[in-house]
Amino acid sequence: MITLGDYLIVSGLLFTIGFAGVMLRRNIIIIFMCLELMLNAANLSLVAFSRFRVDAGLPNYNAQVFVFFIITVAAAEVAVGLAIIVALFRARQTTHVEDIASLKF
Amino acid sequence: MIAPPNLEIAVLILGMLLLMFEAFMDKIDKRVFAFAGILGLTTVLIGTFYLAPVPQIDHASGFWSFYTADPLAIFFKRFALLTTILVLVMMIDYAPTVRGSVAGVTVQAGLGEFFALPILTCAGLMYIASAIDFVMIFVSIELVTISFYVLVSFTRRNPLTLEAGVKYLVLSALSTAFLVYGITWIFGVTGETNLDRITAALANSNIDQTAMLFGAVLVLVALGFKIAAVPFQIWVPDVYQGAPTPVTAFLSVGSKAAGFVVLLRVLRPFLMLPKMDRLLVVVALLTLLYGNLAALPQGNLKRLLAYSSIAHAGYLLIGVACFDGPAVTFYLVAYLLMTLLSFAVLIVVAQQAGERITDFDGLAKRSPFLAFAMLIGMISLAGVPFTIGFFGKFFIFYSALAHHQTVLVVVGAITVACGFYYYLKVVRAMYWRPAVKNDAIPVSGLSRVVMSALIVAIIWFGVYPEPILRALQPPSGQVAMKSAADH
Repeated sequence: MITLGDYLIVSGLLFTIGFAGVMLRRNIIIIFMCLELMLNAANLSLVAFSRFRVDAGLPNYNAQVFVFFIITVAAAEVAVGLAIIVALFRARQTTHVEDIASLKF
Repeated sequence: MIAPPNLEIAVLILGMLLLMFEAFMDKIDKRVFAFAGILGLTTVLIGTFYLAPVPQIDHASGFWSFYTADPLAIFFKRFALLTTILVLVMMIDYAPTVRGSVAGVTVQAGLGEFFALPILTCAGLMYIASAIDFVMIFVSIELVTISFYVLVSFTRRNPLTLEAGVKYLVLSALSTAFLVYGITWIFGVTGETNLDRITAALANSNIDQTAMLFGAVLVLVALGFKIAAVPFQIWVPDVYQGAPTPVTAFLSVGSKAAGFVVLLRVLRPFLMLPKMDRLLVVVALLTLLYGNLAALPQGNLKRLLAYSSIAHAGYLLIGVACFDGPAVTFYLVAYLLMTLLSFAVLIVVAQQAGERITDFDGLAKRSPFLAFAMLIGMISLAGVPFTIGFFGKFFIFYSALAHHQTVLVVVGAITVACGFYYYLKVVRAMYWRPAVKNDAIPVSGLSRVVMSALIVAIIWFGVYPEPILRALQPPSGQVAMKSAADH
Protein backbone atom coordinates (compact mmCIF):
# COMPACT_ATOMS: atom_id res chain seq x y z
CA MET A 1 0.00 0.00 0.00
CA ILE A 2 1.44 3.37 -1.01
CA THR A 3 0.97 5.96 1.72
CA LEU A 4 1.06 9.76 1.77
CA GLY A 5 4.56 9.55 3.23
CA ASP A 6 5.89 7.75 0.14
CA TYR A 7 4.56 10.43 -2.18
CA LEU A 8 6.04 13.14 0.01
CA ILE A 9 9.44 11.45 0.01
CA VAL A 10 9.45 11.23 -3.79
CA SER A 11 8.34 14.83 -4.06
CA GLY A 12 10.98 15.92 -1.54
CA LEU A 13 13.61 14.07 -3.55
CA LEU A 14 12.48 15.76 -6.77
CA PHE A 15 12.61 19.15 -5.08
CA THR A 16 16.11 18.47 -3.70
CA ILE A 17 17.39 17.22 -7.06
CA GLY A 18 15.95 20.33 -8.72
CA PHE A 19 17.47 22.66 -6.14
CA ALA A 20 20.85 20.93 -6.30
CA GLY A 21 20.72 21.22 -10.09
CA VAL A 22 20.02 24.95 -9.95
CA MET A 23 22.92 25.44 -7.56
CA LEU A 24 25.47 23.13 -9.21
CA ARG A 25 24.83 22.97 -12.95
CA ARG A 26 26.46 25.54 -15.21
CA ASN A 27 24.21 25.46 -18.27
CA ILE A 28 21.24 27.85 -18.13
CA ILE A 29 18.96 25.49 -20.06
CA ILE A 30 19.63 22.71 -17.53
CA ILE A 31 19.15 25.16 -14.65
CA PHE A 32 15.81 26.04 -16.18
CA MET A 33 14.84 22.35 -16.42
CA CYS A 34 15.73 21.91 -12.76
CA LEU A 35 13.47 24.85 -11.86
CA GLU A 36 10.61 23.08 -13.63
CA LEU A 37 11.46 19.94 -11.68
CA MET A 38 11.04 21.88 -8.43
CA LEU A 39 7.60 23.12 -9.51
CA ASN A 40 6.59 19.60 -10.45
CA ALA A 41 7.71 18.35 -7.05
CA ALA A 42 5.23 20.80 -5.54
CA ASN A 43 2.54 19.58 -7.95
CA LEU A 44 3.11 15.97 -6.96
CA SER A 45 2.82 16.66 -3.26
CA LEU A 46 -0.25 18.87 -3.80
CA VAL A 47 -2.04 16.04 -5.59
CA ALA A 48 -0.96 13.59 -2.89
CA PHE A 49 -2.15 15.89 -0.09
CA SER A 50 -5.42 16.36 -1.94
CA ARG A 51 -5.95 12.62 -2.48
CA PHE A 52 -5.27 11.71 1.14
CA ARG A 53 -7.39 14.44 2.73
CA VAL A 54 -10.82 12.93 2.30
CA ASP A 55 -13.87 14.96 3.38
CA ALA A 56 -17.21 13.15 3.13
CA GLY A 57 -15.82 10.49 0.81
CA LEU A 58 -14.33 13.01 -1.65
CA PRO A 59 -10.75 14.23 -1.85
CA ASN A 60 -10.12 17.95 -1.23
CA TYR A 61 -10.13 19.20 -4.81
CA ASN A 62 -8.85 22.71 -4.02
CA ALA A 63 -5.26 21.55 -4.24
CA GLN A 64 -5.84 19.82 -7.58
CA VAL A 65 -7.24 23.05 -9.01
CA PHE A 66 -4.17 24.86 -7.67
CA VAL A 67 -2.03 22.38 -9.62
CA PHE A 68 -3.65 23.57 -12.85
CA PHE A 69 -2.77 27.15 -11.96
CA ILE A 70 0.83 26.13 -11.31
CA ILE A 71 1.07 24.27 -14.63
CA THR A 72 -0.31 27.27 -16.53
CA VAL A 73 1.97 29.76 -14.81
CA ALA A 74 4.97 27.48 -15.32
CA ALA A 75 4.17 27.30 -19.04
CA ALA A 76 4.05 31.10 -19.26
CA GLU A 77 7.32 31.31 -17.37
CA VAL A 78 9.01 28.86 -19.73
CA ALA A 79 7.76 30.76 -22.79
CA VAL A 80 9.26 34.03 -21.57
CA GLY A 81 12.33 32.40 -20.04
CA LEU A 82 13.36 30.48 -23.14
CA ALA A 83 12.89 33.63 -25.24
CA ILE A 84 15.30 35.47 -22.95
CA ILE A 85 17.80 32.61 -23.08
CA VAL A 86 17.60 32.53 -26.90
CA ALA A 87 18.20 36.28 -26.99
CA LEU A 88 21.20 35.78 -24.71
CA PHE A 89 22.56 33.03 -26.95
CA ARG A 90 22.25 35.26 -30.01
CA ALA A 91 24.10 38.09 -28.27
CA ARG A 92 26.84 36.06 -26.57
CA GLN A 93 26.90 32.64 -28.34
CA THR A 94 26.85 30.94 -24.95
CA THR A 95 24.45 29.55 -22.35
CA HIS A 96 27.14 28.96 -19.78
CA VAL A 97 26.70 30.86 -16.51
CA GLU A 98 30.41 31.53 -16.06
CA ASP A 99 30.46 33.49 -19.32
CA ILE A 100 27.82 35.93 -18.16
CA ALA A 101 29.54 37.60 -15.24
CA SER A 102 30.25 41.11 -16.48
CA LEU A 103 27.99 42.81 -13.89
CA LYS A 104 30.20 43.16 -10.85
CA PHE A 105 31.70 45.77 -8.60
CA MET B 1 -19.91 54.02 -7.45
CA ILE B 2 -17.49 51.35 -8.68
CA ALA B 3 -17.19 47.81 -7.40
CA PRO B 4 -13.55 47.22 -6.32
CA PRO B 5 -12.78 44.30 -8.72
CA ASN B 6 -13.68 46.53 -11.67
CA LEU B 7 -10.53 48.58 -11.03
CA GLU B 8 -8.22 45.72 -11.99
CA ILE B 9 -10.43 44.77 -14.91
CA ALA B 10 -10.26 48.36 -16.19
CA VAL B 11 -6.44 48.36 -15.90
CA LEU B 12 -6.15 45.00 -17.68
CA ILE B 13 -8.42 46.14 -20.51
CA LEU B 14 -6.42 49.37 -20.82
CA GLY B 15 -3.19 47.40 -21.13
CA MET B 16 -4.57 45.04 -23.74
CA LEU B 17 -6.18 47.84 -25.77
CA LEU B 18 -2.85 49.67 -25.86
CA LEU B 19 -1.12 46.50 -27.06
CA MET B 20 -3.73 45.99 -29.78
CA PHE B 21 -3.71 49.55 -31.09
CA GLU B 22 0.05 49.55 -30.92
CA ALA B 23 0.19 46.58 -33.29
CA PHE B 24 -1.82 48.36 -35.99
CA MET B 25 -0.61 51.96 -35.74
CA ASP B 26 2.94 52.16 -37.05
CA LYS B 27 2.78 55.68 -38.39
CA ILE B 28 2.10 57.67 -35.24
CA ASP B 29 4.55 58.61 -32.51
CA LYS B 30 4.44 55.67 -30.08
CA ARG B 31 4.78 57.97 -27.10
CA VAL B 32 1.08 58.63 -27.56
CA PHE B 33 0.50 55.22 -25.96
CA ALA B 34 2.40 56.27 -22.86
CA PHE B 35 0.24 59.38 -22.56
CA ALA B 36 -2.90 57.27 -23.10
CA GLY B 37 -1.69 54.88 -20.39
CA ILE B 38 -1.00 57.74 -17.95
CA LEU B 39 -4.43 59.20 -18.67
CA GLY B 40 -6.18 55.84 -18.24
CA LEU B 41 -4.37 55.01 -15.00
CA THR B 42 -5.10 58.48 -13.62
CA THR B 43 -8.79 57.87 -14.33
CA VAL B 44 -8.64 54.56 -12.46
CA LEU B 45 -6.75 56.29 -9.62
CA ILE B 46 -9.57 58.83 -9.34
CA GLY B 47 -12.01 55.93 -9.50
CA THR B 48 -10.49 54.41 -6.34
CA PHE B 49 -11.94 57.31 -4.37
CA TYR B 50 -15.48 56.44 -5.48
CA LEU B 51 -15.65 52.79 -4.51
CA ALA B 52 -18.87 51.06 -3.67
CA PRO B 53 -18.77 49.43 -0.22
CA VAL B 54 -18.02 45.73 -0.31
CA PRO B 55 -21.23 43.70 -0.01
CA GLN B 56 -21.51 42.09 3.41
CA ILE B 57 -21.73 38.58 2.10
CA ASP B 58 -20.37 35.29 3.28
CA HIS B 59 -16.58 35.54 3.12
CA ALA B 60 -16.15 31.81 3.52
CA SER B 61 -16.53 30.82 -0.10
CA GLY B 62 -16.63 32.09 -3.67
CA PHE B 63 -14.89 35.13 -5.08
CA TRP B 64 -14.68 37.08 -1.81
CA SER B 65 -12.66 34.34 -0.13
CA PHE B 66 -9.88 35.11 -2.65
CA TYR B 67 -10.22 38.85 -2.91
CA THR B 68 -10.63 41.53 -0.30
CA ALA B 69 -11.22 45.25 -0.62
CA ASP B 70 -10.21 46.27 2.90
CA PRO B 71 -8.52 49.66 3.45
CA LEU B 72 -5.03 48.16 3.24
CA ALA B 73 -5.88 46.73 -0.20
CA ILE B 74 -7.39 49.99 -1.46
CA PHE B 75 -4.38 51.95 -0.17
CA PHE B 76 -1.94 49.70 -2.00
CA LYS B 77 -4.01 49.79 -5.19
CA ARG B 78 -3.56 53.58 -5.18
CA PHE B 79 0.11 53.05 -4.40
CA ALA B 80 0.51 50.72 -7.40
CA LEU B 81 -1.35 53.08 -9.73
CA LEU B 82 0.69 56.10 -8.65
CA THR B 83 3.95 54.17 -9.05
CA THR B 84 3.00 53.03 -12.54
CA ILE B 85 2.00 56.52 -13.63
CA LEU B 86 5.35 57.94 -12.44
CA VAL B 87 7.24 55.08 -14.09
CA LEU B 88 5.45 55.74 -17.39
CA VAL B 89 6.55 59.37 -17.20
CA MET B 90 10.13 58.20 -16.74
CA MET B 91 9.73 55.77 -19.64
CA ILE B 92 8.84 58.62 -21.98
CA ASP B 93 12.18 60.24 -21.09
CA TYR B 94 13.90 56.89 -21.59
CA ALA B 95 12.32 56.20 -25.02
CA PRO B 96 15.40 57.27 -27.09
CA THR B 97 17.55 54.68 -25.30
CA VAL B 98 14.99 51.94 -25.93
CA ARG B 99 14.86 52.84 -29.62
CA GLY B 100 18.60 52.31 -29.86
CA SER B 101 18.65 48.94 -28.11
CA VAL B 102 15.74 46.96 -29.51
CA ALA B 103 16.17 45.12 -32.78
CA GLY B 104 13.32 45.66 -35.20
CA VAL B 105 12.38 46.65 -38.74
CA THR B 106 10.80 49.99 -37.83
CA VAL B 107 12.40 52.88 -35.96
CA GLN B 108 9.90 52.69 -33.14
CA ALA B 109 9.99 48.89 -32.73
CA GLY B 110 9.39 47.80 -29.16
CA LEU B 111 8.27 51.15 -27.81
CA GLY B 112 4.56 50.25 -27.70
CA GLU B 113 5.16 47.11 -25.67
CA PHE B 114 7.54 49.01 -23.40
CA PHE B 115 4.66 51.34 -22.47
CA ALA B 116 1.94 48.66 -22.31
CA LEU B 117 3.72 46.10 -20.10
CA PRO B 118 3.93 48.30 -16.97
CA ILE B 119 0.16 48.69 -17.13
CA LEU B 120 -0.35 44.91 -17.07
CA THR B 121 2.21 44.71 -14.24
CA CYS B 122 0.18 47.34 -12.40
CA ALA B 123 -2.91 45.12 -12.64
CA GLY B 124 -0.86 42.33 -11.06
CA LEU B 125 0.28 44.64 -8.25
CA MET B 126 -3.34 45.63 -7.61
CA TYR B 127 -4.40 41.98 -7.44
CA ILE B 128 -1.59 41.29 -4.95
CA ALA B 129 -2.91 44.11 -2.75
CA SER B 130 -6.26 42.33 -2.57
CA ALA B 131 -5.16 38.70 -2.43
CA ILE B 132 -6.10 36.82 0.74
CA ASP B 133 -5.78 33.30 -0.59
CA PHE B 134 -2.51 31.55 -1.42
CA VAL B 135 -3.75 30.60 -4.89
CA MET B 136 -4.54 34.23 -5.64
CA ILE B 137 -1.27 35.40 -4.06
CA PHE B 138 0.69 32.95 -6.23
CA VAL B 139 -1.05 33.83 -9.50
CA SER B 140 -0.86 37.60 -8.99
CA ILE B 141 2.79 37.50 -7.89
CA GLU B 142 3.55 35.52 -11.05
CA LEU B 143 1.68 38.03 -13.23
CA VAL B 144 3.99 40.71 -11.84
CA THR B 145 7.14 38.58 -12.01
CA ILE B 146 6.66 37.37 -15.59
CA SER B 147 5.96 40.91 -16.78
CA PHE B 148 9.15 41.96 -15.04
CA TYR B 149 11.16 39.21 -16.83
CA VAL B 150 10.26 40.89 -20.09
CA LEU B 151 10.75 44.42 -18.83
CA VAL B 152 14.14 43.77 -17.21
CA SER B 153 15.62 42.29 -20.39
CA PHE B 154 13.77 44.69 -22.68
CA THR B 155 16.67 46.61 -24.23
CA ARG B 156 18.13 43.37 -25.53
CA ARG B 157 20.87 44.81 -27.75
CA ASN B 158 22.63 45.79 -24.55
CA PRO B 159 24.49 42.69 -23.27
CA LEU B 160 24.42 43.94 -19.67
CA THR B 161 20.62 44.14 -19.78
CA LEU B 162 20.34 40.59 -21.09
CA GLU B 163 22.65 39.36 -18.37
CA ALA B 164 20.51 41.11 -15.75
CA GLY B 165 17.43 39.57 -17.38
CA VAL B 166 18.80 36.03 -17.17
CA LYS B 167 19.91 36.49 -13.56
CA TYR B 168 16.51 37.84 -12.61
CA LEU B 169 14.80 35.01 -14.49
CA VAL B 170 16.68 32.19 -12.77
CA LEU B 171 16.57 33.60 -9.23
CA SER B 172 12.94 34.71 -9.48
CA ALA B 173 11.86 31.34 -10.83
CA LEU B 174 13.76 29.76 -7.94
CA SER B 175 11.84 31.90 -5.46
CA THR B 176 8.59 30.89 -7.19
CA ALA B 177 9.47 27.24 -6.70
CA PHE B 178 10.05 27.88 -2.98
CA LEU B 179 6.75 29.75 -2.73
CA VAL B 180 4.81 26.93 -4.36
CA TYR B 181 6.47 24.22 -2.29
CA GLY B 182 5.82 26.22 0.88
CA ILE B 183 2.16 26.69 0.00
CA THR B 184 1.97 22.94 -0.66
CA TRP B 185 3.12 22.13 2.86
CA ILE B 186 0.83 24.70 4.41
CA PHE B 187 -2.04 23.12 2.50
CA GLY B 188 -0.91 19.68 3.58
CA VAL B 189 -1.00 20.67 7.25
CA THR B 190 -4.15 22.78 7.34
CA GLY B 191 -6.10 21.62 4.27
CA GLU B 192 -6.78 25.27 3.40
CA THR B 193 -5.33 27.96 1.12
CA ASN B 194 -7.36 30.89 2.46
CA LEU B 195 -5.39 32.95 5.00
CA ASP B 196 -8.30 33.39 7.43
CA ARG B 197 -9.09 29.70 7.44
CA ILE B 198 -5.41 28.84 7.84
CA THR B 199 -5.34 31.09 10.91
CA ALA B 200 -8.41 29.34 12.25
CA ALA B 201 -6.91 25.92 11.56
CA LEU B 202 -3.67 26.89 13.32
CA ALA B 203 -5.57 27.81 16.47
CA ASN B 204 -6.43 24.11 16.62
CA SER B 205 -3.70 22.56 18.76
CA ASN B 206 -3.41 19.14 17.10
CA ILE B 207 -1.77 20.32 13.89
CA ASP B 208 1.77 19.44 12.93
CA GLN B 209 3.79 22.50 13.99
CA THR B 210 7.06 21.35 12.40
CA ALA B 211 5.58 20.77 8.95
CA MET B 212 3.72 24.07 9.15
CA LEU B 213 6.92 25.88 10.16
CA PHE B 214 8.71 24.30 7.19
CA GLY B 215 6.03 25.58 4.81
CA ALA B 216 5.97 29.03 6.40
CA VAL B 217 9.76 29.38 6.19
CA LEU B 218 9.71 28.42 2.49
CA VAL B 219 7.05 31.05 1.81
CA LEU B 220 9.09 33.62 3.74
CA VAL B 221 12.18 32.72 1.67
CA ALA B 222 10.21 33.46 -1.49
CA LEU B 223 8.97 36.77 -0.10
CA GLY B 224 12.53 37.56 1.01
CA PHE B 225 13.56 37.40 -2.65
CA LYS B 226 10.82 39.85 -3.57
CA ILE B 227 11.62 42.42 -0.88
CA ALA B 228 15.41 41.96 -1.26
CA ALA B 229 16.09 40.82 2.30
CA VAL B 230 19.48 39.32 3.22
CA PRO B 231 20.39 36.46 2.51
CA PHE B 232 18.21 36.52 -0.61
CA GLN B 233 19.50 39.83 -1.95
CA ILE B 234 22.22 38.49 -4.31
CA TRP B 235 20.25 39.31 -7.45
CA VAL B 236 19.47 42.91 -6.51
CA PRO B 237 22.66 44.86 -7.37
CA ASP B 238 23.24 43.14 -10.72
CA VAL B 239 19.63 43.26 -11.88
CA TYR B 240 19.14 46.86 -10.77
CA GLN B 241 22.29 47.94 -12.55
CA GLY B 242 21.62 46.07 -15.77
CA ALA B 243 17.90 46.70 -16.22
CA PRO B 244 16.59 49.76 -18.10
CA THR B 245 16.49 52.54 -15.48
CA PRO B 246 12.69 53.11 -15.38
CA VAL B 247 12.25 49.36 -14.93
CA THR B 248 14.77 49.45 -12.07
CA ALA B 249 12.68 52.17 -10.44
CA PHE B 250 9.51 50.13 -10.95
CA LEU B 251 11.19 47.01 -9.60
CA SER B 252 12.54 48.76 -6.52
CA VAL B 253 9.22 50.37 -5.60
CA GLY B 254 6.43 48.23 -7.07
CA SER B 255 7.89 44.78 -6.56
CA LYS B 256 9.12 45.60 -3.06
CA ALA B 257 5.79 47.08 -1.97
CA ALA B 258 3.98 44.01 -3.30
CA GLY B 259 6.30 41.78 -1.27
CA PHE B 260 5.60 43.75 1.88
CA VAL B 261 1.81 43.68 1.39
CA VAL B 262 1.90 39.90 1.08
CA LEU B 263 4.25 39.74 4.07
CA LEU B 264 1.83 41.79 6.20
CA ARG B 265 -1.04 39.54 5.14
CA VAL B 266 0.66 36.17 5.72
CA LEU B 267 2.21 37.20 9.04
CA ARG B 268 -1.12 36.96 10.78
CA PRO B 269 -1.31 33.18 10.48
CA PHE B 270 2.48 32.72 10.59
CA LEU B 271 2.97 34.61 13.84
CA MET B 272 1.02 31.88 15.60
CA LEU B 273 4.06 29.67 14.99
CA PRO B 274 6.92 29.59 17.49
CA LYS B 275 10.16 31.56 16.94
CA MET B 276 8.77 33.43 13.92
CA ASP B 277 9.31 36.87 15.45
CA ARG B 278 12.93 36.15 16.33
CA LEU B 279 13.58 35.01 12.75
CA LEU B 280 12.27 38.33 11.45
CA VAL B 281 14.50 40.31 13.82
CA VAL B 282 17.60 38.44 12.66
CA VAL B 283 16.75 38.94 8.98
CA ALA B 284 16.09 42.65 9.59
CA LEU B 285 19.49 43.07 11.32
CA LEU B 286 21.39 41.29 8.53
CA THR B 287 19.57 43.27 5.84
CA LEU B 288 20.31 46.60 7.53
CA LEU B 289 24.00 45.83 7.97
CA TYR B 290 24.57 44.33 4.52
CA GLY B 291 22.66 46.99 2.57
CA ASN B 292 24.28 49.95 4.26
CA LEU B 293 27.83 48.62 4.49
CA ALA B 294 27.93 47.36 0.90
CA ALA B 295 26.64 50.73 -0.34
CA LEU B 296 29.60 52.61 1.17
CA PRO B 297 32.23 51.99 -1.57
CA GLN B 298 29.85 52.22 -4.58
CA GLY B 299 30.82 54.55 -7.40
CA ASN B 300 27.91 53.76 -9.72
CA LEU B 301 24.77 55.62 -8.67
CA LYS B 302 22.37 52.99 -10.05
CA ARG B 303 24.17 50.28 -8.11
CA LEU B 304 24.27 52.54 -5.05
CA LEU B 305 20.49 52.87 -5.25
CA ALA B 306 20.27 49.07 -5.45
CA TYR B 307 22.16 48.69 -2.17
CA SER B 308 20.10 51.52 -0.73
CA SER B 309 17.01 49.54 -1.71
CA ILE B 310 18.32 46.59 0.32
CA ALA B 311 19.03 48.94 3.24
CA HIS B 312 15.51 50.34 3.13
CA ALA B 313 14.11 46.80 3.09
CA GLY B 314 15.96 46.45 6.40
CA TYR B 315 14.22 49.48 7.95
CA LEU B 316 10.89 48.19 6.64
CA LEU B 317 11.61 44.79 8.18
CA ILE B 318 12.12 46.47 11.58
CA GLY B 319 8.53 47.67 11.24
CA VAL B 320 7.38 44.21 10.18
CA ALA B 321 9.22 42.60 13.11
CA CYS B 322 7.26 44.95 15.41
CA PHE B 323 4.01 44.09 13.56
CA ASP B 324 3.40 47.79 12.95
CA GLY B 325 1.43 47.84 9.68
CA PRO B 326 0.83 51.63 9.57
CA ALA B 327 4.53 52.43 10.11
CA VAL B 328 5.53 50.02 7.32
CA THR B 329 2.96 51.50 4.97
CA PHE B 330 4.05 55.06 5.75
CA TYR B 331 7.67 54.11 5.12
CA LEU B 332 6.70 52.56 1.78
CA VAL B 333 4.98 55.80 0.72
CA ALA B 334 8.08 57.76 1.72
CA TYR B 335 10.24 55.26 -0.15
CA LEU B 336 8.05 55.60 -3.26
CA LEU B 337 8.36 59.40 -3.38
CA MET B 338 12.09 59.68 -2.72
CA THR B 339 13.22 56.67 -4.79
CA LEU B 340 11.19 57.62 -7.84
CA LEU B 341 12.47 61.21 -7.61
CA SER B 342 16.07 60.02 -7.51
CA PHE B 343 15.54 57.67 -10.44
CA ALA B 344 13.76 60.36 -12.47
CA VAL B 345 16.79 62.63 -12.12
CA LEU B 346 19.18 59.75 -12.77
CA ILE B 347 17.41 58.90 -16.07
CA VAL B 348 17.67 62.45 -17.36
CA VAL B 349 21.30 62.91 -16.29
CA ALA B 350 22.42 59.43 -17.37
CA GLN B 351 21.36 60.08 -20.97
CA GLN B 352 23.63 63.13 -21.18
CA ALA B 353 26.48 62.26 -18.86
CA GLY B 354 26.42 58.78 -17.33
CA GLU B 355 25.27 56.93 -14.25
CA ARG B 356 28.47 57.07 -12.21
CA ILE B 357 28.61 59.44 -9.25
CA THR B 358 31.52 61.27 -10.89
CA ASP B 359 29.20 62.04 -13.83
CA PHE B 360 27.19 64.18 -11.41
CA ASP B 361 30.19 66.44 -10.69
CA GLY B 362 29.17 70.07 -10.76
CA LEU B 363 25.57 69.31 -11.70
CA ALA B 364 24.47 72.25 -9.56
CA LYS B 365 26.18 74.63 -11.98
CA ARG B 366 24.97 72.85 -15.12
CA SER B 367 21.31 72.32 -14.15
CA PRO B 368 20.39 73.76 -10.75
CA PHE B 369 16.88 72.27 -10.91
CA LEU B 370 18.05 68.68 -11.46
CA ALA B 371 20.69 69.07 -8.77
CA PHE B 372 18.12 70.38 -6.31
CA ALA B 373 15.72 67.52 -7.10
CA MET B 374 18.53 64.98 -6.55
CA LEU B 375 19.51 66.80 -3.34
CA ILE B 376 15.97 66.46 -1.97
CA GLY B 377 15.82 62.80 -3.01
CA MET B 378 19.16 62.01 -1.37
CA ILE B 379 18.60 63.84 1.92
CA SER B 380 15.17 62.24 2.19
CA LEU B 381 16.64 58.78 1.58
CA ALA B 382 19.24 59.58 4.25
CA GLY B 383 16.50 60.71 6.63
CA VAL B 384 17.23 64.39 7.22
CA PRO B 385 14.48 66.15 9.23
CA PHE B 386 11.79 68.07 7.32
CA THR B 387 11.70 65.40 4.65
CA ILE B 388 9.29 62.48 4.51
CA GLY B 389 12.19 60.05 4.88
CA PHE B 390 12.80 61.35 8.40
CA PHE B 391 9.23 60.64 9.51
CA GLY B 392 9.34 57.20 7.91
CA LYS B 393 12.38 56.25 9.98
CA PHE B 394 10.97 58.04 13.03
CA PHE B 395 7.77 55.96 13.06
CA ILE B 396 9.72 52.74 12.49
CA PHE B 397 12.17 53.42 15.32
CA TYR B 398 9.37 54.66 17.57
CA SER B 399 7.48 51.39 17.21
CA ALA B 400 10.72 49.41 17.69
CA LEU B 401 11.28 51.27 20.98
CA ALA B 402 7.69 50.64 22.01
CA HIS B 403 8.29 46.91 21.45
CA HIS B 404 11.60 46.99 23.40
CA GLN B 405 13.65 45.94 20.35
CA THR B 406 16.73 47.81 21.58
CA VAL B 407 19.19 45.94 19.35
CA LEU B 408 17.21 46.86 16.25
CA VAL B 409 17.15 50.53 17.25
CA VAL B 410 20.89 50.66 18.00
CA VAL B 411 21.89 48.91 14.77
CA GLY B 412 19.34 50.99 12.87
CA ALA B 413 20.83 54.23 14.21
CA ILE B 414 24.37 53.16 13.27
CA THR B 415 23.31 52.23 9.75
CA VAL B 416 21.48 55.54 9.33
CA ALA B 417 24.85 57.19 9.97
CA CYS B 418 26.38 55.04 7.19
CA GLY B 419 23.49 56.14 4.99
CA PHE B 420 24.35 59.80 5.53
CA TYR B 421 27.86 59.13 4.24
CA TYR B 422 26.93 57.48 0.95
CA TYR B 423 23.91 59.60 0.10
CA LEU B 424 25.74 62.83 0.84
CA LYS B 425 28.62 61.66 -1.36
CA VAL B 426 26.27 62.29 -4.29
CA VAL B 427 25.34 65.72 -2.93
CA ARG B 428 29.02 66.60 -2.52
CA ALA B 429 29.69 65.63 -6.13
CA MET B 430 26.85 67.83 -7.34
CA TYR B 431 27.57 70.93 -5.28
CA TRP B 432 31.27 70.95 -4.36
CA ARG B 433 33.01 69.39 -7.33
CA PRO B 434 33.97 71.31 -10.48
CA ALA B 435 31.92 70.49 -13.57
CA VAL B 436 33.59 68.76 -16.49
CA LYS B 437 31.19 70.27 -19.01
CA ASN B 438 29.11 73.39 -18.62
CA ASP B 439 26.17 72.88 -20.98
CA ALA B 440 22.77 72.59 -19.32
CA ILE B 441 20.99 69.20 -19.36
CA PRO B 442 17.59 69.50 -21.05
CA VAL B 443 14.53 68.36 -19.06
CA SER B 444 11.15 67.82 -20.69
CA GLY B 445 8.19 69.81 -19.38
CA LEU B 446 6.32 66.78 -18.11
CA SER B 447 9.33 65.49 -16.15
CA ARG B 448 9.90 68.93 -14.69
CA VAL B 449 6.29 69.06 -13.46
CA VAL B 450 6.46 65.53 -12.02
CA MET B 451 9.81 66.15 -10.31
CA SER B 452 8.51 69.39 -8.81
CA ALA B 453 5.39 67.59 -7.56
CA LEU B 454 7.57 64.89 -5.94
CA ILE B 455 9.83 67.52 -4.31
CA VAL B 456 6.80 69.34 -2.92
CA ALA B 457 5.27 66.07 -1.67
CA ILE B 458 8.50 65.01 0.06
CA ILE B 459 8.83 68.32 1.90
CA TRP B 460 5.10 68.78 2.53
CA PHE B 461 4.64 65.34 4.11
CA GLY B 462 7.97 65.78 5.88
CA VAL B 463 6.53 68.74 7.75
CA TYR B 464 2.91 67.61 7.92
CA PRO B 465 2.50 63.80 7.68
CA GLU B 466 -1.12 63.87 8.91
CA PRO B 467 -2.87 63.21 5.55
CA ILE B 468 -1.06 59.89 4.99
CA LEU B 469 -1.51 58.83 8.60
CA ARG B 470 -5.23 59.55 8.36
CA ALA B 471 -5.53 57.53 5.15
CA LEU B 472 -3.84 54.71 7.06
CA GLN B 473 -6.20 54.71 10.01
CA PRO B 474 -9.21 52.81 8.80
CA PRO B 475 -10.95 50.77 11.47
CA SER B 476 -10.53 47.28 10.06
CA GLY B 477 -6.86 47.67 9.08
CA GLN B 478 -6.09 48.65 12.65
CA VAL B 479 -7.97 45.68 14.03
CA ALA B 480 -6.09 43.30 11.75
CA MET B 481 -2.71 44.66 12.85
CA LYS B 482 -3.72 44.70 16.51
CA SER B 483 -4.75 41.08 16.43
CA ALA B 484 -1.44 40.25 14.77
CA ALA B 485 0.42 42.14 17.49
CA ASP B 486 -1.44 40.32 20.24
CA HIS B 487 0.00 36.94 19.37
